[in-house]
Amino acid sequence: MIVRLSHLLLAALLFISTAHAEERKMCTAPASECEKAIRELSSGRRYLGVKIKELEPGIIVETVIDEGPAARADLRVGDRLMSVNGHSIVKGSIKDFKQILYSAKDTGVLWIIVLRQGILKKVDVRLEPYTKAQIDKMVAQHLAQAHGISSINAAAPQQ
Amino acid sequence: MFRSFLAKWKSSPRSGDRPDHVSSILVPFLIVTVALGVLAARSYILSERTERGVDTLAMQYAGYAAQISASRIDAAVSSELFHATEEWQKLERRSPSSVELQKWIGDNDWIISALYVPDADPASAIYASELPGKAHAGAPLPRELYSSSGIVRYTYDPALLLARVRPALAQQPLVHAQGFTQEAQVSVIQNATTTGAVKTDNGYAFIAPLAAPLSSYAIRGFVETGYASSGWESARLISIVLSAFALLLTGLGAYLAMRGLAHEADTMKLRGALVANVSHELRTPLSMIRLGAETLKRGARLPEKQRLEIEDSILREVLHLSHLVENVLDVARMQNSSAKALAFTPVYPRDLLTSLITTYESWIRSRGFDVKLHLTDAVEEQSWDRDAVSRAVLNLIDNAIKYSGDENKLIDVVLRQTEESVVIEVKDRGIGIDAGDLAHIFEPYYRAQFSDTQTRRGAGLGLTLVQQIIASHGGTIEVESKPGTGSTFRLLFPRPQSHTTTSLAQLTPQTL
Ligand SMILES: [Zn+2]
Repeated sequence: MIVRLSHLLLAALLFISTAHAEERKMCTAPASECEKAIRELSSGRRYLGVKIKELEPGIIVETVIDEGPAARADLRVGDRLMSVNGHSIVKGSIKDFKQILYSAKDTGVLWIIVLRQGILKKVDVRLEPYTKAQIDKMVAQHLAQAHGISSINAAAPQQ
Repeated sequence: MFRSFLAKWKSSPRSGDRPDHVSSILVPFLIVTVALGVLAARSYILSERTERGVDTLAMQYAGYAAQISASRIDAAVSSELFHATEEWQKLERRSPSSVELQKWIGDNDWIISALYVPDADPASAIYASELPGKAHAGAPLPRELYSSSGIVRYTYDPALLLARVRPALAQQPLVHAQGFTQEAQVSVIQNATTTGAVKTDNGYAFIAPLAAPLSSYAIRGFVETGYASSGWESARLISIVLSAFALLLTGLGAYLAMRGLAHEADTMKLRGALVANVSHELRTPLSMIRLGAETLKRGARLPEKQRLEIEDSILREVLHLSHLVENVLDVARMQNSSAKALAFTPVYPRDLLTSLITTYESWIRSRGFDVKLHLTDAVEEQSWDRDAVSRAVLNLIDNAIKYSGDENKLIDVVLRQTEESVVIEVKDRGIGIDAGDLAHIFEPYYRAQFSDTQTRRGAGLGLTLVQQIIASHGGTIEVESKPGTGSTFRLLFPRPQSHTTTSLAQLTPQTL
């Protein structure tokens, strides 16, 4: 949460200092085309909904997105990933995990064995497409930041 | 009678003795022909094999060039993708924003647009689109890149990516050995329908598909094979034509040899007939001489008149015999060598003819013939070989005697001159010569064909000799003949043009 906040802060800073004046220059394509492109690039794509962190060695779950596929499958923050789809990643890196994730994008299924409080636990995750709300938010953010358009759609979900 | 012999001769199978000779001469030619054929076949097979080898090499080389180039392109693309990923990873480590994403797209000009979705919060994705003015051909294709903190979904233009890696094609020649540079034409094609080796009109192509993300493209390697280009540059065709030519020459050689052989066989046969003929002809005067001599030896009481007659007869036959022998010797001499050098001396034709007839008068009369000498013109002195011309005329007279009928036993010998020639004619009133035979009468031994005419024996050398003699005097011989009415043989000696002559005397026809 702290990391995320700092990111937002940094982004906001950048936004204010430089981007504000050059806002229009940052995206010269028509807003409608950008929206179309964002929807095409994100719709139907499935995601896991966790942010992972590399240990020395190993990988643990750093963040679990609320209401995401991982949260639904009961993957928790602090879980250490032992094996994914039969590949051991006890000593693996983020890169290894991403590789497995990439190869599983078509089936959309991950069988993960995690170490949670000394106990090995099997977690089956089914990757899910981005929700409409998520995609709408992606569009709204881009339009607001790069085109200076604040739509009703974009405004609503903002905290 | 004459005609029937002729017909008999013509229909007689001359080829009877040919097969042995033919087979013996044909064997070497057959061997040469077979050898040539084998060589031609061999060279054909070799050239075909060479071409097949060239084909294989061309095919292999085209495949090699295409696949090497394709793997070079593939490697260049992977390296490009790797660098893009690495660069994004670096940019991502700072807090990723649309500025970074824009910079990333700007650095990798084949990327059209990108959406960075952070793992931590997919909804706060960042999107950056292509810069204005970046033209791209065709629809961009989507692709993903998994970074450590998120996923970048981007679109790219394969044509631009290809343009970026194309320099990989323009590398050094694929094969560069010492003194040998093999080059294939390597090109990029799009949406190839086939892959692998393809035979074209003038060579071989090999199409190697590229790996993703350029899988809509393929590399085409092409090697031209020059041998088949045009007909006359084809080694195979040249070897065939040369072989055919050699076979043709051999065939011609065989034909000429066979013809020569056949001619030889004919000549041999005729020579054999001649020997028989000549011996037969010599026998008659010899037996007469012998008979006369025996009569003289036995008959001491013979009357004086009869004894003189026998002596005359012996002399006549000796004369004739020596004439025959001279003929045979002359023909042999004139045929065999260039030593037919005649002794040209100043001769008055009139004197020559007069003395000739005087000498042989008794012999001609003994055959029951009369000779009339017509010296119609004053003919100037000529440069002739006296003996040779005498023999020629005598041969014509002999010939006339042999072929005269029984009714009119008169022979005319005419001497006259025209603008160009001194002419000696010998006319008989005999059986004449068939038109079909006229063309052959001067061939050596031709007369020998009719050897079964006991009454008209002759060596068949006479006319040949006459022709040779007249030819060596630079003149020609003419024959006019009609069967049943007689023949005229005409000797035409050229007159030296500078000479203008005055006739000394005009002699009237004389009966000798
Ligand atoms: Zn935009």
